[in-house]
Amino acid sequence: MLKINWFSPLLPARSGVAHYAMQVLPVLARSHDVVLWTDQDQVSPEVHAIARVARYDPAAPPWREINNGTISIYHLGNHPDLHAGVWRVSTQQPGIVVLHDLCLHDFFFALSVRQGKERAAYRNAMERWYGQEGRESAEAFCAGGVSVQTMQQNFPLTREATRNSLGAITHCGRALEDLHETPACPTATLNLPYAAAGESPYRAWLAVRDGVPRPPYRLVVFGYLNRNRRMGAVLEALAGIGEREQFRLDICGQLWDESHIRTEIERLGLGSIVSLHGFLSGEQAEQKLGTANLAINLRYPSMGEASLSQLQFWDYGLPTLVTRTGWYASLPEDATAFVRPESEVADIQAHLRAFLADPGAFRVLGECGRRSLKNHDPESYVDAMTRFAAEALGLSPRVSALALARRVGGDLTEWLPAAGSPYLLERASKEIYTAFEGRRH
Amino acid sequence: MKILVATSGVPFIRGAAEILAGSLLEELSEAGHEAELTVIPFKDYPPNRIPDQILACRLLDLTESCGIRIDRVIGLNFPAYLIPHPHKVIWLQHQHRSAYDLWDQPAAGGLVHSPDGPVIRETIRRADRELIPEAEAIYTQSLKVSDRLLRYCGIAAAPLYYPPANALLFYKSPPADYFFFPSPINAANRQWLAIQALAQCRERVRIRFAGEPGSRTQQAECVHAARKLKLNDRIEWLGGVSEDRKRDLYAHCLGVVFPPADEDYGCVTLEAMLSSKPVITCSDSGGPLEFVLDRQTGLVAQPTSESLAQAMDMLWADRGCGAAMGEAGRARYRDLHISWANVVEKLLC
Repeated sequence: MLKINWFSPLLPARSGVAHYAMQVLPVLARSHDVVLWTDQDQVSPEVHAIARVARYDPAAPPWREINNGTISIYHLGNHPDLHAGVWRVSTQQPGIVVLHDLCLHDFFFALSVRQGKERAAYRNAMERWYGQEGRESAEAFCAGGVSVQTMQQNFPLTREATRNSLGAITHCGRALEDLHETPACPTATLNLPYAAAGESPYRAWLAVRDGVPRPPYRLVVFGYLNRNRRMGAVLEALAGIGEREQFRLDICGQLWDESHIRTEIERLGLGSIVSLHGFLSGEQAEQKLGTANLAINLRYPSMGEASLSQLQFWDYGLPTLVTRTGWYASLPEDATAFVRPESEVADIQAHLRAFLADPGAFRVLGECGRRSLKNHDPESYVDAMTRFAAEALGLSPRVSALALARRVGGDLTEWLPAAGSPYLLERASKEIYTAFEGRRH
Repeated sequence: MKILVATSGVPFIRGAAEILAGSLLEELSEAGHEAELTVIPFKDYPPNRIPDQILACRLLDLTESCGIRIDRVIGLNFPAYLIPHPHKVIWLQHQHRSAYDLWDQPAAGGLVHSPDGPVIRETIRRADRELIPEAEAIYTQSLKVSDRLLRYCGIAAAPLYYPPANALLFYKSPPADYFFFPSPINAANRQWLAIQALAQCRERVRIRFAGEPGSRTQQAECVHAARKLKLNDRIEWLGGVSEDRKRDLYAHCLGVVFPPADEDYGCVTLEAMLSSKPVITCSDSGGPLEFVLDRQTGLVAQPTSESLAQAMDMLWADRGCGAAMGEAGRARYRDLHISWANVVEKLLC
């Protein structure tokens, strides 16, 4: 049994990571001693029911109490309000970092904005991982000369998030490969966990749909609706097809710019078709999902995140449109309908027309998706996560060995001519390796 | 033989480890060897610099001096015992205990309070596990230290007891009305427990404390506690005393109170035995329990003020019993064959 310090957003925080935690924690806490550390003002009663909740001040964490744990597990994503405290602790105490986004450029930039206009931490991180080019690009970006998309693509800063870690967990190996930037520590890729509903409720939902679905068909969009959720493209696609009256679009979630979306709906004449519902309670969300016919779950650009909403759509047997990018591109071909980033409006329209022509074929996609949920079992996830954590613990002396090697290297380069350094460097390396890696006996 | 005794020390601090190293050096010279002390300055904060000091030791070359072979290195303390040598013997006084049994103890120091404490702890443990077995032979100063080495590092080592400094100079005199408590004043030595016990004694027990305070605060806390319990007329704070004065205090006391928390060895016990005095210690005191036989050479109390008070009352009231225990202690010391000749022979064989 591990004694685990868990650092993540917790409900009622409006965060996919908080919902993810609710998938994992009930299983994790059954077989391990878990303390849920939070700097949030409020934590929902259902979280308190799972494990002990302890508060910490990111500026002065209670190390003695934290050190009672065997290992700390930190959850990082791009939202600075939700992850800044977690990040701050993770830089001081090595642990396992779960990367909910792989591209964390925006996170580190947002953190540095809080520190003032110098943005030294951001510039230093860019230089640390990308050298001179990184520093110059950071300066150009701060001056407004480079787009955020370019920065995200070229400088994801994934390594910065894991530079002091014993290990990293991601939820998509393919997205990690696309980044061409591996974390600075051992990495495990696990399938995002999701506790699927039992067979009976699913059959009940199917029974509802087995009645012949009639227009208008209900389309749903769910979750935290940032710019990369492509709402503009969805609205444009819907407005551009003659059969649009056969659909109703329910937008459920927090929009990054609600007034802009409202203006777009008005401009495109979609007022009678599209409804904005804001953030829904669990029961309201279930009602919407239970009566929907097709979900739209686009991302572009992707930050390398996996989508709990996608698994939830599948749990309801919902066919889904996803962008062929990042984690979404790795989803089973027989369970999703792909939209290409370079022709998203045309692809959405083509899928909507195909849906009208044969709704049954789309229902098969949703059913295949539901079957694939067996690969996302939380029990297996927790088992793999804790095995990885236990293995990573054995490597913990490596963290101090690397720090020591950096200091030795730094010191030698200060006073030793290059010609004289190989012998001493080799000796120091050998001793560090032997003492802290343990290969002698 | 040319022998280097390698130990670690905190500059400007002199304690039991320094006395022991000095004694070993003298005994090696006495036995006809050319021996010298190598002291590695050690600083345990910030914790992330401890690995630097491990590496510094590992990079030392003590195989020769001016072209002449150094025949043996005897390592005593962390991290000095990690210095490599083809004929190294470790006589382990202390590992870095805050990485082991003292990790979660209040007096453990900074490691448990540090964000990188767990990583540094594992680093120290890894170095010990990997590098201590390099030695040709491994001994410890006590069974307690051997047990810890085996439990945490899986390394077996026999204890090798040594006599207190100037063991032959201890003597016995008729007892006066006081118990003697000779230890540096700090939380681990538990002077505070003896003060609380004194307040619960039925007899008008008196204690004379000798030893430097670890800090002014620690001394002030003890004095304040004694005043609060109205014990000023039954307690005497002697501070640091000379070796002559210390032996005199041993010789004239009724018995020695020595209730530390998990002490590794505790020369105090042996000094009391050499002075033919009974020892009152506690069941969690560690090293002293290797020598004190309950109700034969002293009393083993529970680590509570009530239990300690009972033990002190008993020896205060029954002087004959105390004297007999003292004599039995002296006989036990003799039977244990604790001698420097034995230590030197083992370390050099």
